[in-house]
Amino acid sequence: MQFTVTKDIFLKGLQRVQSIVEKRNTMPILSNVLLETVDDRLDITATDLEVGMKSSYPVTTVKPGKITVSAKKLFEIIRELPDADITFSTKENDWVELRCGKAVFNIVGLSPDEFPYFPSIQENNFIKIESELLRDMIEKTSFAICHDETKYNLNGVFLKAAEAGEKTALKMVATDGHRLSLMEKTLEGSFGPELSKGVIFPKKGIFEIKKFTEDEPCELLLGFLDNSAVIKKNNMVVVMRLVDGEFPDYTRVIPQNNDRIVKVDREQLFHSLRRMAILSSEKSKGVKLEIDREKIIISSSNPELGEAREDMESDYDGEPLQIGFNAKYLLDVLGVVDSQFILLCLRDELSPALIRAAEKEDFTSVIMPMRL
Amino acid sequence: MSDRVIMHMDMNSYFASVEQQTNPELKGKPIAVIGNGRTVITTASYEARAFGVKTGMNTWEARQKCPHIIFVVGDNRKYTYTSAEIVKILLDYTPLVEVFSIDESFMDITGSLRMFGSPERIAYLIKARIRHRFGLTCSIGIAPNKLLAKLASEMKKPDGLTVIRPVEVSRVLERVPIEDLCGIGSRTHRQLSLFGIQTCGDLGRFPVDILRRKFGIIGERLHYMGLGIDDSPVVPVEEAEEVKSVGHSMTLEKDISVRKDINKYLLQLSEMVGRRARRYGVAGKTVHLTVRYADFTTFGRQQTRKMPTNNSEEIFAEAVSILDTFVLTQPVRLLGVRITNLSYQREQLPLFAEERKKALATGAMDMVNNKFGDFTVTYGSILDTEEKGSHVISPAWRPSGIRNVDVR
Repeated sequence: MQFTVTKDIFLKGLQRVQSIVEKRNTMPILSNVLLETVDDRLDITATDLEVGMKSSYPVTTVKPGKITVSAKKLFEIIRELPDADITFSTKENDWVELRCGKAVFNIVGLSPDEFPYFPSIQENNFIKIESELLRDMIEKTSFAICHDETKYNLNGVFLKAAEAGEKTALKMVATDGHRLSLMEKTLEGSFGPELSKGVIFPKKGIFEIKKFTEDEPCELLLGFLDNSAVIKKNNMVVVMRLVDGEFPDYTRVIPQNNDRIVKVDREQLFHSLRRMAILSSEKSKGVKLEIDREKIIISSSNPELGEAREDMESDYDGEPLQIGFNAKYLLDVLGVVDSQFILLCLRDELSPALIRAAEKEDFTSVIMPMRL
Repeated sequence: MSDRVIMHMDMNSYFASVEQQTNPELKGKPIAVIGNGRTVITTASYEARAFGVKTGMNTWEARQKCPHIIFVVGDNRKYTYTSAEIVKILLDYTPLVEVFSIDESFMDITGSLRMFGSPERIAYLIKARIRHRFGLTCSIGIAPNKLLAKLASEMKKPDGLTVIRPVEVSRVLERVPIEDLCGIGSRTHRQLSLFGIQTCGDLGRFPVDILRRKFGIIGERLHYMGLGIDDSPVVPVEEAEEVKSVGHSMTLEKDISVRKDINKYLLQLSEMVGRRARRYGVAGKTVHLTVRYADFTTFGRQQTRKMPTNNSEEIFAEAVSILDTFVLTQPVRLLGVRITNLSYQREQLPLFAEERKKALATGAMDMVNNKFGDFTVTYGSILDTEEKGSHVISPAWRPSGIRNVDVR
């Protein structure tokens, strides 16, 4: 195998897969990338057996073939090379020679035969989704994903489509057992059996998809293959194994009767909470909200540091209420809502609180209070 | 730190005296307080000490020394209650009271002299009040620092009052054997005697660089101890260092090797740990398990969780999974469960109903047990075991705060 490629293209291709390769080094082959040339195209593939990615780049192929090399080392080498064409060729016993300008690298590779199987993708039955829409949904839910690996069914986002006549409501939900975040968008067309039933995308995969949506707006293709989801964008494909588990019935935790509604300026509350959180304890970040008809008093205290309080105007006409929250949970929500005012819908100090944007209805967040 | 007046109060044969006070029949007789089940003598009365009965002896050893000795099974509640009441008396004279153990306290009375007069007057007032209220005596030492105050209180027992004035320090220390200083144990003592150091006078004169080379940073402290210099402050409870762990251990009635029985004790210990942690709003990320075999070999293992917990069942599950990692080669004599890596937190309630019910049920259980006593409501699987809870007063016991363990 031999090919010539420009530094820019090779670097971009390798950078993209760095987050995919296995870092724990349980199977050496998983920290490698598979490089394969067909015609004048280089396919770069990486996988950790849960999330895999394959992308194609233009190169000048001298001799077709394939090889695997350490993804991290190859990336580090290419990054330091001068801006010139790079010649990549394989030698006996899976050795690789890299030449660029006057620099020569001989590095060890591993046989491409050991590299895990990557499914070939047919483009039928794919669903088209606007990248901006998907990004919005991921941004407003992914912060609530659970990081406790023992709760594996919560280690991702749940995506479900519910058809309503001509339109379809697409819902994305994430929860860590203390708070929950839900986005709901109405779209044209139908979404196939997998999404009607609902699927859980793994955390790592969701962040790869989010990277897809960060460039200029485009259309993404979403399909399903056995127990995997396939996302395609131009020359790149991500395949991820769906989380095999039951997502809890989130509809039951979304409160319906929270009739004590406080309307607050989002930015004002956001900055106030950030200030107050400094004095709340390191791990639990507890803050207290005292709400009455005139104002909201936000306060925090820490036996080692001291205490802080701040009040702000409130738009509320119910009975006074005191409630405690983990400031981080509130800040996560306030950080992603794009609306000037938010509605804080409460019931009592031990019941879940619901947060919505005042102007939009597509976003819902539920946060469980802390005991004061 | 100059010109401080420090007082050390040491209750005389505390447990035995409390027993003699509560049961007049025991007054003036040789008695020894022992624990429940397998145990040694925790305290002997002065009458028994005259026969050579000492703390730590077996009951049969004690009976050999003093055939008519009366053994009394200790009632720890009496001792912790009395101790907490005594500390309240001390707090009337200075806020700077450091509870050193259940029967010893340090007080910094430097600032109290203007109000109460001389240090001796404060000492007599305290002694009189303790005697009047509880019928107990104590020995008090007054000196410029904690090291010397403790030394002074040891000098005259029972019912002593010893003052070491700053000008007398070197004269007094000259003849004091080094092992009388608090902080010099048998090992340090042995190592120092190899240098020919017998008294504090010797220690103070000994070249400090040799001590430093031998003992490291402790060497310098030893040097100052020999000179009777000690800058350590009296630390009241509320300023004491943050508690780093919450744990309980128990010596079992008899050695056991059946896994089911071991688990019962682990659940009981986990509940004790969980309850105390919940009461003081702390949760631990690391769970430790300590096992002592019949031959006293002791070892421990630990496991760190993703999330801190103070839930008894979760602590229990972690302890059991630690136990699963090794094969027990002998019957077990003692078990201990401890959580560390503590975070102080208010309780975050779970969102999903099933878990929330569990959290609220635990809260309800704690409320019942707070009102009617530990283990009033508890797990069915430990119902048949003997009396539950702490039977031993740990050296870390304190009259208030997280270290205040309810004992029975």
